[in-house]
Amino acid sequence: MSKPQIMVIDDEKIVCDMSKLSLEQSGYEVETFLSAEPALDRLKEKKFDVIVTDYKMKGLDGMDVLKTVKNLYPDTKVIMITAFANLETAIEALRSDVYDFFPKPVKIKELKASIERALHG
Amino acid sequence: MKIEHRIILSNFFNIMLLVIVISFALQNLNLVLTKLRFIQIADDLNASFLEIRLTEKNYFLYRNKMNLYDILNKIHEIRYSIDNVKEDIIKAVGEDKFQTLNKNLNDYTNVIALISEIDEAKINNEQTENSIREAGKKLREFSEQITRLERTHTNELIMNSKKILLHSFWIIILSSIIISHLISKKILQSLKLIEKLTLSISEGNFQTIEEVTPDEECNSVIKAINFMSNELKNREEQLIQSKKLASIGVMTAGVAHELTNPLNNISMLAQTYIELYDNLSRDDRIDFMNKVEDETDRMKEIVKNFLDFSKPKEPHLEQIDINTVIQKAVKLTQNMLYVSNIETQLELKNNLPLSFIDKNQIQQVLVNLITNAVQAMTKNGKLIIASDLDESKKYIKITVTDTGKGIPPELLQHIFDPFFSTKGEGGTGLGLSVSYGIIKNHYGDITVESEVGKGTTFTIRLPIYNKIERSKTNE
Repeated sequence: MSKPQIMVIDDEKIVCDMSKLSLEQSGYEVETFLSAEPALDRLKEKKFDVIVTDYKMKGLDGMDVLKTVKNLYPDTKVIMITAFANLETAIEALRSDVYDFFPKPVKIKELKASIERALHG
Repeated sequence: MKIEHRIILSNFFNIMLLVIVISFALQNLNLVLTKLRFIQIADDLNASFLEIRLTEKNYFLYRNKMNLYDILNKIHEIRYSIDNVKEDIIKAVGEDKFQTLNKNLNDYTNVIALISEIDEAKINNEQTENSIREAGKKLREFSEQITRLERTHTNELIMNSKKILLHSFWIIILSSIIISHLISKKILQSLKLIEKLTLSISEGNFQTIEEVTPDEECNSVIKAINFMSNELKNREEQLIQSKKLASIGVMTAGVAHELTNPLNNISMLAQTYIELYDNLSRDDRIDFMNKVEDETDRMKEIVKNFLDFSKPKEPHLEQIDINTVIQKAVKLTQNMLYVSNIETQLELKNNLPLSFIDKNQIQQVLVNLITNAVQAMTKNGKLIIASDLDESKKYIKITVTDTGKGIPPELLQHIFDPFFSTKGEGGTGLGLSVSYGIIKNHYGDITVESEVGKGTTFTIRLPIYNKIERSKTNE
């Protein structure tokens, strides 16, 4: 049985690196990207089961990623993380097709639990 | 006094002048008419006297008493005519002359009546003839004299009226000009005062002035402007307060956001460190801790920037050629420009007046603008930095132009706000805000123009060094 495919997009390198280490430890296959543009290029080549993306990034942002993903793979779940932890952002994210929403600082255990639910729930 | 009342008063004055002139002209015309009527009467008298003298001559030729009766009849008719226009004659020639006319007429009547009543034979021909001729002559001469006199009077009257009308015309024109000038001068004085006040308000000095003009209308306007000035002052204070509160809100949110990212990084490093602790080598553990240390340094830098922003340093001003500062800033960013393959063009004007600036702070602003420009451009962009005197010749103008993606109009107004960034997580949003503060501390100005897809131009204006003004400021 192949491993679940996870994509992580965040312009903070540490977020990408730590997510990759921790999620791979839990048995996922993880690809990370520091901006949305190369991530979207990769999505044209490969389908991912869950995408974890930052909300605000230079260039295309998390909402752009969400729209593209939903166009290409409607069943792929998108989890949004953001440093902009205000109510408006949360409401906007949850009204859209976002599967889950985490304000920074993120608890990795909670993120993993959410990914599990997205994969099997 | 109200302007309206002044205008009414001046018009009333002019109308009064006109009424006086017109009534005088009417009076003169009436006098001329009376004189003309009298001249007509005098002409009739002349004709009648001429007729009497002719009849008198016939009497002396033919000695026919019927001629004397004709003369008496004619004198009777003349008396009747004179009595009818007695008033006009007295008015024209005076009582004395009228009495003289009556006396002459009586003398003549008496002589004629006397002759008509005595026998022809008893008449001393030569003596009678002389007395009749003498009386008739007097009558004729008198009537001719008064006719001549009246014609002269009438001519003088008409000439005088003409002169007075002409003079009155000039007096009315002159008084209208003087009165209009005086009224407009007063109004203009008040308007100048109002203009000065409004200009002062438009420059942000919300002062008021006393209502010192003599015009009620202008005083009402000054009162309204004073009220507006006070209101503007109050509103500005409220606006400053609300802007301060909004700035605190934006700054707090900005600091929170800026700190959240390194905080999240430290948190994730710690969580992963614990999770993978048993599998990590010594070097890995040290690497984790170094990263934690780096993130705390990053947080320290954010806090330092924030403190720098809230307490801007006083500039150390010195006289300097702005072009050397621009060249230094470009040199500092040369490597970044080279890596990004950006063509740099310097259009620096020679022999610019010296500016009075803190070179390090202005250099910081320029480096900041160049960095922003590079980040806004894809590779192969073009950066133009120019220096020149501005249109007013009081400022040195520096422009930094890029061919980048441009800034949408809705974001342009926030570009100098603290913590506002178009660079996502990559920017602190403090660079332009700090730059703005530095330029304002130099009594200068920084503005931005941008077109999406074409590029952005930042324009800095710095005051030129002026020895005289500086010494005044220092005093």
